[in-house]
Amino acid sequence: MIRFGLCLFMLLATGACLLQSQQPEIEAHLGKGTQLMQQELFEAAAGEFEQALALNPSDPRPHFQYAICLLSLGRNEEARRQFEQVRQLGGESRYLTYYFGRLDLLSNDYVSAIRRLGSVVEDPPSRDTAFHLGVAYVSSGDVSAGIKYLERAAKLLPRDYRVHYRLARAYSSAGREQEAAHEFNLYNQFRDEHKNTETEARACTSALHSQSIQNAHDVCHRMFDPNDPEKLTLLGQLFGDAGAFTEALDPLKRAVQLDPKSFEAWHNLGVTYFRLQRYTDARAPLETAVALRPEFYGSVVLLGATLYMVGDDDAALPVLEQAHRLNPADAQTTEILEKLRAGRQKQ
Amino acid sequence: MTRRDFLTMLAAGTAGARLLRAQEGGMATRGVRPQPRGKPSGLPFHARFTDVAAQAGLRAPIIYGPVDRMDYILESMGCGVAFLDYDNDGWLDIFLLSGTRRAGPVEGASNRLYKNNRDGTFTDVTAKAGLTRQGWACGVTVGDYNNDGFEDLFITGWPQNILYRNNGDGTFSEVTENAGLLHPGNRWGTGCTWVDYDRDGHLDLFVANYLVFDFDKIPSTGKDPACNFKGVPVNCGPRGLVGERPMLYRNNGDGTFTDITARSGVAAVPPVYGLTAVAADLDGDGWQEIYVACDSTPSLLFHNRGDGIFTEQGLQSGLAVNEDGREQAGMGIAIGDCDNDGRLDVLKTHFAEDTAALFRNMGHLNFEDVTLRSGLGVETRHVSWGNGITDLDNDGLPDLFWVTGSTFPEVERKHPEFPHKSPRVLFRNLGGGKFEELLEAGPAIAEPHASRGVAFGDFDNDGDLDILIMNMNEPPSLLRNDVTGRGHWLKVKLVGTKSNISAIGAVVTAVYGGRKQVQAVLASSGYLSCNDRRLHFGLGAAMAADLEIAWPNGAREQVKGLPADQFVTVKEGAGVVARERFRA
Repeated sequence: MIRFGLCLFMLLATGACLLQSQQPEIEAHLGKGTQLMQQELFEAAAGEFEQALALNPSDPRPHFQYAICLLSLGRNEEARRQFEQVRQLGGESRYLTYYFGRLDLLSNDYVSAIRRLGSVVEDPPSRDTAFHLGVAYVSSGDVSAGIKYLERAAKLLPRDYRVHYRLARAYSSAGREQEAAHEFNLYNQFRDEHKNTETEARACTSALHSQSIQNAHDVCHRMFDPNDPEKLTLLGQLFGDAGAFTEALDPLKRAVQLDPKSFEAWHNLGVTYFRLQRYTDARAPLETAVALRPEFYGSVVLLGATLYMVGDDDAALPVLEQAHRLNPADAQTTEILEKLRAGRQKQ
Repeated sequence: MTRRDFLTMLAAGTAGARLLRAQEGGMATRGVRPQPRGKPSGLPFHARFTDVAAQAGLRAPIIYGPVDRMDYILESMGCGVAFLDYDNDGWLDIFLLSGTRRAGPVEGASNRLYKNNRDGTFTDVTAKAGLTRQGWACGVTVGDYNNDGFEDLFITGWPQNILYRNNGDGTFSEVTENAGLLHPGNRWGTGCTWVDYDRDGHLDLFVANYLVFDFDKIPSTGKDPACNFKGVPVNCGPRGLVGERPMLYRNNGDGTFTDITARSGVAAVPPVYGLTAVAADLDGDGWQEIYVACDSTPSLLFHNRGDGIFTEQGLQSGLAVNEDGREQAGMGIAIGDCDNDGRLDVLKTHFAEDTAALFRNMGHLNFEDVTLRSGLGVETRHVSWGNGITDLDNDGLPDLFWVTGSTFPEVERKHPEFPHKSPRVLFRNLGGGKFEELLEAGPAIAEPHASRGVAFGDFDNDGDLDILIMNMNEPPSLLRNDVTGRGHWLKVKLVGTKSNISAIGAVVTAVYGGRKQVQAVLASSGYLSCNDRRLHFGLGAAMAADLEIAWPNGAREQVKGLPADQFVTVKEGAGVVARERFRA
């Protein structure tokens, strides 16, 4: 959800009319808020977006991010009002249609949910669009249409146990017991996998904190599924959290191969190379991460640092300026930025 | 600042992006945030609740583990309560389970039987009845297993369960071993219910088990991520501990039971963390299903095929997990017709940061999770336990009630938003499948306690439903209901002849004032508790009701045109055999 919200964020950014003097502060709140959302700290993130809106209520970006926060917090009617604001300020978009559709579904307005989600399902703003549309159809009583879209969702999200559960229940309601049994089996399989991953991650974390890296590696390697990018990313993250950066590389490299659109995988791969002081190798993953989430301060500042470390000061300067806009309170970035600017003036 | 300095600074500050949220604690909690509360309906609610436990004589605290901390999961789960008429005098008596403390026996701690003095007070007759016992009791089911006309008691607990036969003279005899119900080794029995699964007229017994527990083997508080809640070390489990399978015992008709867990199909499920078990005919085929609320594992629905075999149909029915396919921390189960469509719906309570779940019965053992659309999504604050679907204001629409209380008293010091003691929860039925939470309905609703079991019954025979509540390490609460509106009511007691004499498993459909409501005679409900066996129908403005009774043995019987505001006894095959108008 956040990923697609940010796409709109980018789209709207070009059209936003900001008050020049307040722009750095607004950018800072947006950057901080986005980072908090990434950590699922939605209450705190909402506070940042509220502050951005107080500075410039006509900027659609904080309205949009704030709306997503509110939706995540279950404050659905407030979220709807914020999305309405975005529409008034920036016009219609398929992202807005998607979110309005989801809000309709949450408020049991199935007719409107079906209309809205159905209008964007062929060019979906999110991979779960078909899932929500299928749920809306089933909830409205049109089980056969629901099955059609839930089947599509199962193809788009083949490892998502929620989809298989809903599809199984829909088949069951339609009396298609054999297909229901098949989907229940898939549900059980992926639910078990999910739970196993949680258990394995706990065991890996515990081993990494209590044993040598070599011994812990054996425990953690149970998580290595060469076909599951999320699990590989998690494994890389756990190694990274424990400072085992060399061990983190393999799973993360495999993860970005499997899911080239995974911001988390690219960012973590970049962090890992950076922490191994392999700055040249860190550059490409961090550039990809920043391209996927240009407002995520952690990626931006690290890319700036990487460019600085490899001596590409020209490339580093605009990236660090962006990092500074996202987080003006970071004194070290400010200091190095001034140094780079001073160096450029001397030239 | 040098390049090296900058590098050092960043190395300290950079972090990987989180992909998965860390799992917290040993229980299933979805981290659900409450939906916003809508504008109050402003409609009057005619029930008011006052805690009269102290003036009624229920003053002894129910001991259950230490007061200010719970080092072991056994100390945190609490126990049930029961309304029963053990002496057949027409007035509800009270049976309260009790725990103890690991450090040693606590003076005065015991399961307790209170006899109704018919004047709003009770007398403790525990010792006289032969029921004094201290231990870790959990669940209770009330039913006349030997069909002698007197209600017997089965109690679950750790490390052993107990069967008490009612001698009919005010005393009980402990007959567990003679009945064949003493199990080898230690086990933590929790939910239990009498159920005539084979319709032979004898009550069989279903027992859920929670997990393998041993004070000396359970990991200590805070030992691993499953022993931690919101960063506070807490008692371990249930996740990370070994679950157990439920058991089914067949009544041989001679005072003894046979373990038929394996041959009945009940053993064909994986180990779960089983809690409350309720038996009711949920698909209307005349054979009782058994539903088990499971804590952090999928809940179980045993479909009674009618040939002595149960098949587990939890997932297929929609009762195992929530609508997103995630298991919940199932605690209590209430069965009732919350939308007046003539089918038995299910309300299940869960942990904090999750909603209770309301499952609408769509027929053919297919249930739909209608929690959010019913308006229950506004309440996610507390750990929720004993519950009921019952008409509290006699308006003809069953309301929802449950009690709450934390399992981790240590947490509130760091997180005041998770208090150890918390208020009761009441949702009034607005009709049309909608419910509205009432934060005020007399002083007893908002009073905070760490509660567990709940039983509903009319202890003062005044035509409304009162509520009995187990509070951890406090005296119980007895919520006297004072209904002030003009809602009428009808109370029905069934007596089986060919069926089991307690009529457990019977289903009664009442038709009144253009409405229909179905209720089942249950031997277990709420959280490990047992309600008044008499069915109570609020009738609203209707002055009469028709009843259709489906007896446990499959026979059907109709009683037409029963005037409101009376208590009737219907004997199987003989119609109404007694009528009583309670004093005003």
